[in-house]
Amino acid sequence: MRASRKSRWVSWLTDGSTPFIVGGYAASALYALVVLIPLYYVVVSAFKTNLTIFTQPLALPKTLSFFNFIRAQEVAVLNRAMLISVGVTVGAEIVTLLLAFPAAYAIARIRTRLAPLFEYIFSLGFLIPALAMLVPVYLMVVKLGLLYQPVSLVIFYPATKLSVTVILLASYLRTIPLELEESAQLDGASRLQMLLYVFFPLARPGVITVLILNFIDFWNEYLFALILLNQRNRTLQIALTIIKTDRSMDYGLVSAGIVMVVIPVCIVFILFQEQIVKGIYAGALKG
Amino acid sequence: MELSPIEESAGKPDVLAGRPTHQRRNQMKRRVAFLLFSAPAMAWFLIWMLWPLINMFWISLLRWDGLVKKSTFIGLANYQRILSDVLFQHALRNTAIHLAVGLPAVLIPAFILGFFLSLRRPGFRTLRFIFFLPAMISVAALAMMFYGIYMPEGILNAMLRLVGLGAWTHNWLADPSTVLGSIIFIDIWTGIGFYAVLFFAVLSNISGELYEAARLDGASLWTILWRIAFPLSRGFFGVATMLHFLWILTGAAQNVLILTKGGPGDYSLTLGYYLYNQAFVVQRLGYSQAIGVFLFVVGLVGLVLIRRIFGQTD
Repeated sequence: MRASRKSRWVSWLTDGSTPFIVGGYAASALYALVVLIPLYYVVVSAFKTNLTIFTQPLALPKTLSFFNFIRAQEVAVLNRAMLISVGVTVGAEIVTLLLAFPAAYAIARIRTRLAPLFEYIFSLGFLIPALAMLVPVYLMVVKLGLLYQPVSLVIFYPATKLSVTVILLASYLRTIPLELEESAQLDGASRLQMLLYVFFPLARPGVITVLILNFIDFWNEYLFALILLNQRNRTLQIALTIIKTDRSMDYGLVSAGIVMVVIPVCIVFILFQEQIVKGIYAGALKG
Repeated sequence: MELSPIEESAGKPDVLAGRPTHQRRNQMKRRVAFLLFSAPAMAWFLIWMLWPLINMFWISLLRWDGLVKKSTFIGLANYQRILSDVLFQHALRNTAIHLAVGLPAVLIPAFILGFFLSLRRPGFRTLRFIFFLPAMISVAALAMMFYGIYMPEGILNAMLRLVGLGAWTHNWLADPSTVLGSIIFIDIWTGIGFYAVLFFAVLSNISGELYEAARLDGASLWTILWRIAFPLSRGFFGVATMLHFLWILTGAAQNVLILTKGGPGDYSLTLGYYLYNQAFVVQRLGYSQAIGVFLFVVGLVGLVLIRRIFGQTD
């Protein structure tokens, strides 16, 4: 093992591809630096006062003070926003799964000519940009009397992710080899049992992937949360942008807010990096 | 996958006699079960995705100046207005610049970096992690972060002073000459790493033997990148181009909304933000949806063109 590793090192130092490899490392390092410096800047600023942010932007904080975090919470009522963000995200996740899993099962496992048609209609969702639906959805929510209610997001968010969720789950369910239902005698009731007790446990990895992907999108959503909710019921994403306008130049506060908003997704990313990349890649391929 | 009648009846010879009706009944049963399971999701999708889209077309034919006002049907007048609207032309120009700069500035470096990652040299896992990190940050957090980078006392100016380029400092988001570039840069910053990791995923499927063969023929890695890796992943390059095209056209409006609101003047006004502005700031709902229809059509035409250029996907 060690020997082969060493010979690999030796071979790439001598095989004539060195200029490309060196250039590749240089370009990667440059981009990595351009990515990391702003992130570092935000994290250290969260622990500094505005004065030290402006005079020594890149210096490490002298003390680990959570002052900014406490004040950010006071200025933008972040704990209420956090509660609403969690509620909306969890609610939308549940609705999405309740709708998408049976549909994915039907498309993948019930042989009828409707299945490819439905899959095609769902795939059209990739072509509809959120921005195009902004005004019509706003008007629909007003009509339903749900404007400024977080539940409006719990109802609307699942629709935006049904396309990719149904299609990813269906393609996952197709990989499960199962001759059970081939007796073709099943009615709705026995299919429901099979879905619950056979397919759902078997499909756990696929379900977890779509849950993670949808978590990131629901948690991070900005545009609809902005127009469908009001000051009292805002999500974390909206509250974050309020910190800026309330105290126009206090970047310590803003940084503390950014850190609080980004941390949940970062933890999920660190834990599930493989699934996230694979899921987004598969979703892009289907679109 | 369709079962033949023989297989289907093999386990239950007792129903053989009434097979034609039995089969039909089975088909009906399957169809009912299918609808039972998929109709809720389909209904949700039609009501909250397709119906709003249809509504956009309808509202674009109305004059509707605010929710509390009455709407009147005015036919294509909103579209005529587009033709003579100077702001629309500025927004169109800015969006065109964003596309012309943003697409190549993201996708070409991303492909090169993705290819480099796919060689799996030491450290590629760490690099992949760092590259994908920006894509995990929400638009709101990202915009606020760049607010801190671009502000007069922000880190960009601080670093320019640090390396003795104090003359290059700007109030990036307030200066007409830098504001559009600053907005465009945000997407480049996140996009390169995001697409690099996706290209890495696609290039990892290419067998190393192909590269080996080319190496034996004396090809350099740079040649392999453009002569082997690129043609083999051309389809996915098209998919990535479509995704980023749609993002710039519509999604990127959020950065404008949070950071500049199209200003100063209309120097960072893009079509996507103009739609938002007409709907929720000026409250010209009908006109905003005419802009939406225009964006939607541009999006579809763009997708068809990109698909033509890069060939069929999959």
